[in-house]
Amino acid sequence: MMKRRDFLRRASLASLSLPFVSNGFSMQAISKELFDFSKNAEDRVLVLIRMNGGNDGLNMVFPVDQYANLMIQRPNILIPQNQLLNLSSDLALHPKMTGMQDLFNNGKLTVIQNVGYPEPNRSHFRSTDIWSTGSLDVNQTSGWLGRYFDSNYPNFPADYPNANFPDPFAISMGSEVSTTCQGLMGNFSHAVNDPFNTSNLLLTSVTNDGTYYGSHIEYISTLINQTNEYGTSISASANAGNSLSTMYDPTNPLAVQLKYIAQMISGGLKTKVYIINIGGFDTHDSQVDQTNLAEGNHANLLKMISDAVAAFQNDLQLLGLEQRVAGMTFSEFGRQIASNGSFGTDHGDAAPIFLFGSCVNTGIIGPNPTIDNQINEQAGVPMQIDFRNIYASILRDWFEAPEASIQALFEQNITYLDVLSGCSVGIAELEEQKLNPIIYPNPAPSNVTLRFVGKGEQYQIFIIDEQGKVLLKPFEGFLAAQQHDLPLETSKLPSGHYYALISATNSRELVAFQKI
Amino acid sequence: MQVYTGPWTKAEAAHLLRRTTFGATNQQILTAVSNGMSATVSSLLQIPVSDEPLAYDAGETIVAQGTSWVNAVYPANQTQNQQTENARFKSLGAWIAKNMNQEQLCIAEKMAFFWQNHFGVTATAEARAMYHFLNLLRQNALGNFKQLIKDVTVDPAMLLFLNGATNNVYSPNENYSRELLELFSIGKGNQIATGDYSTYTETDVAAGAKILTGFTVNGIRSSTVTQATTTFMPLLHDNTAKTLSYHFNNQVITAAGATEYANYIDVIFSQPHVAQFICSKIYRYFVNYDITPSVQTNVIDAMAQTLITNNYEILPVMQQLLTSDHFYDMSVRGAIIRNPLEMIMGAMNPTQTIPNFGLVGDYQTYISIYYVADTMGQSYIVPPSVAGWLAYYQAPAYSKLWINSTYIKKRFDIVSALVYTGVPIGTNVLKMNLLGFLNGLSDPSNAPQVIDDICDVFFPKAISLTDKLTLKAILTGGLPDFEWTIQYNDYQANPTNTTYYTPVTQRMQALMNVILKMPQFQTI
Repeated sequence: MMKRRDFLRRASLASLSLPFVSNGFSMQAISKELFDFSKNAEDRVLVLIRMNGGNDGLNMVFPVDQYANLMIQRPNILIPQNQLLNLSSDLALHPKMTGMQDLFNNGKLTVIQNVGYPEPNRSHFRSTDIWSTGSLDVNQTSGWLGRYFDSNYPNFPADYPNANFPDPFAISMGSEVSTTCQGLMGNFSHAVNDPFNTSNLLLTSVTNDGTYYGSHIEYISTLINQTNEYGTSISASANAGNSLSTMYDPTNPLAVQLKYIAQMISGGLKTKVYIINIGGFDTHDSQVDQTNLAEGNHANLLKMISDAVAAFQNDLQLLGLEQRVAGMTFSEFGRQIASNGSFGTDHGDAAPIFLFGSCVNTGIIGPNPTIDNQINEQAGVPMQIDFRNIYASILRDWFEAPEASIQALFEQNITYLDVLSGCSVGIAELEEQKLNPIIYPNPAPSNVTLRFVGKGEQYQIFIIDEQGKVLLKPFEGFLAAQQHDLPLETSKLPSGHYYALISATNSRELVAFQKI
Repeated sequence: MQVYTGPWTKAEAAHLLRRTTFGATNQQILTAVSNGMSATVSSLLQIPVSDEPLAYDAGETIVAQGTSWVNAVYPANQTQNQQTENARFKSLGAWIAKNMNQEQLCIAEKMAFFWQNHFGVTATAEARAMYHFLNLLRQNALGNFKQLIKDVTVDPAMLLFLNGATNNVYSPNENYSRELLELFSIGKGNQIATGDYSTYTETDVAAGAKILTGFTVNGIRSSTVTQATTTFMPLLHDNTAKTLSYHFNNQVITAAGATEYANYIDVIFSQPHVAQFICSKIYRYFVNYDITPSVQTNVIDAMAQTLITNNYEILPVMQQLLTSDHFYDMSVRGAIIRNPLEMIMGAMNPTQTIPNFGLVGDYQTYISIYYVADTMGQSYIVPPSVAGWLAYYQAPAYSKLWINSTYIKKRFDIVSALVYTGVPIGTNVLKMNLLGFLNGLSDPSNAPQVIDDICDVFFPKAISLTDKLTLKAILTGGLPDFEWTIQYNDYQANPTNTTYYTPVTQRMQALMNVILKMPQFQTI
């Protein structure tokens, strides 16, 4: 069942049916083409990367405008400002995250700042449960994705797998099924260590030591593996699949797992969610190298993630799968603003998360955290964006779940963010394609930039509202056959949804953006 | 057979308890360690009297809910009679499972099932008669084997099951006579001539049938009498002299009415094969299926000699076996695959997962457990045949037969349900007592110690250090050990605060869901 993009649900059909005409093109006619993703929701894949232990967001995404006060609070770990990788004039990445910076510059990375939940809990275990269940209710035992799957596949696991659903709904890379996928009657995720060797479901070793016991456990492990209902389809997909990127580092454990995922997706596995767990973020001490603050345990972890995700995104692009896959990183909490005496940080509150993929809304969502020069002992970064709203927005934008059914999965009233409004493409592809514009940042609090490849002709750029009314005409003139970054004066627009219409003699392109 | 004098650690104590009970807690294992082998075995070999099964199901129309029905009449009305019979069988099945879910450790339930498997009686009679038969097996489980066979021979449930109740001088029925020799007492050897099975011949089967004639059973599902009873009818008895085969020195059993069968059993028990046969079965059930020449010489022969020396008393044989060096040999640790009830109770008992839903809720829970075991191939009062369950006699697979691709999935399903969602039973939900279990370990705040204890409880042999680290990572969520300590101590300081006990519960769920699905757990 093909559903229309959520965007079209928000812009009322009545208003869209009023034909907006520009040079003879009907907006109604072109909007459908532009706002549909290349594949429908059933083909889309979500990759979750869990940074286990509580990630120090302030050592990953740096609010540069707060640098002076950060230096007061965490002088022994703060990386020199001139080593940071700029994302914007006031936000920067850890120096090891060059891959993530490239993704950002290519419109494939969103930073969502200050993500957390009210009344934060600094227990790893409790906070992990909160993030996994998507609920602050301590009695909630099902995962947020488990509830979503339950609402669509109520007879799981009794009736699965079956001819229509031969593949696991979710795959948890490693040895443990993910609590995010715990449903009422079963866990929707299937633990996979190695998709090429799914014959071994066992987490622990079974050695036939030649005794009766050894013979028994060998026999039972064989039987267990024979009953591995999903194993065949997983390994068949992995073997049929492909991986084209040369960027994967085989010594990077996250890269290895993301490569597996690329192979499973390209091999045709219908799994909708992949979950990867990366440990080591509980950096109470030795978070940084004392002699070089840009190095150290946390730097290594961030480099691992950045390199792996960049390689994965490169692979997806080469495989032609970019528009089917989106990803998100998360951690159970951030860490305290002030560092401790052990060159580390203790459990804190909110932290930034990343969304990645060619279909994410590029840019930076949420303002920089404010770091005062004097803070309370043990202060964390206050939450501004509730992670549950991000979950809900992903379900709406990516899996096209109806808002009413999404609300039923969560206890709080959902405020949606536009996280996955449209697919964008990188420069390499832009050069091969006719136009495919992107707007960044998006959503944007002030001015935006329109990036597209000109064809060497005369252009007019219009800003129009959801009703098709022309509000601004920020550009008119000749544009050479190359990529252009046109600043658009949008800071005075009220909050809302808008389009930029790029109009030339023989082409029209429309790109949506949100003003916040 | 030498008395075991090696180290007496948790590994040995846990091995003993795994083989003789349906599951012990970590604390019970530690107690066994401190009490020593001899005292622990002596304690295990004391069988207390069991409470009688109680009425709980609405189908019971004679006795009040919560009271015993084992000596109560049935309704005269045919429909109510059947409803009451159904209710009583449910109560009986629940009682069987309930007995296994006891905190007090003793060998009673393991021995009771040994005998139920040995005699292979399917409940063809009434619930009362089946209860009394099972209770006979249970209360005499360590008693005199010869007397037990005599009692079983004229028990109403057995007389109905193997047609003894219709075996009379006018139409002899060989069914019980054959099984008495082949399966219950002397055992069938190789066929060495037509009708000659090394230990007995067809002549003996025919003679035995005549010896056993004359017993009838009265009062089945009666609305006037409170017991099914066995009656000897002299007119139905064959009073001719019966001559046995050369295996029994051609002895003649002369007519002796109601006690003639006992004389015949005495003759059978004069043959040494009887002790060999039953000791082999005890060995297969409690130690290992494989009776090598060495085991035959050093173990079975010694057990058989003890049995004969003690005039067929079972207790000394069990005492000898359970304190022998062979019993604790590493080669036989983990040599048995759990039967379904051993698997389910092996998850419930060490975690002290005991229903506490009131009489009706508890019985409903236990009958549900009985049914779950049934779907895995073990319906306690409906053995697959009079020979018992294949796992105890079918070479070469033996206990491997308890597990196949269907059964392993069912075993995993019940684990998932117990650990995560709970097993819904009526309005109650049976969940594994994860926090109680954790709190009962020797140092719950110490993640490596938690894993060590859990491995001691559930696995018959040590697992590798790597595997222990894998399991510990599941418990700690991959975090450093001290984070678990903090979390556990927070929970201990706030034991009723959901914010603290829920995360601990969830880690234990993840861990136990793995532990109880490991192949190692499936063995004892």
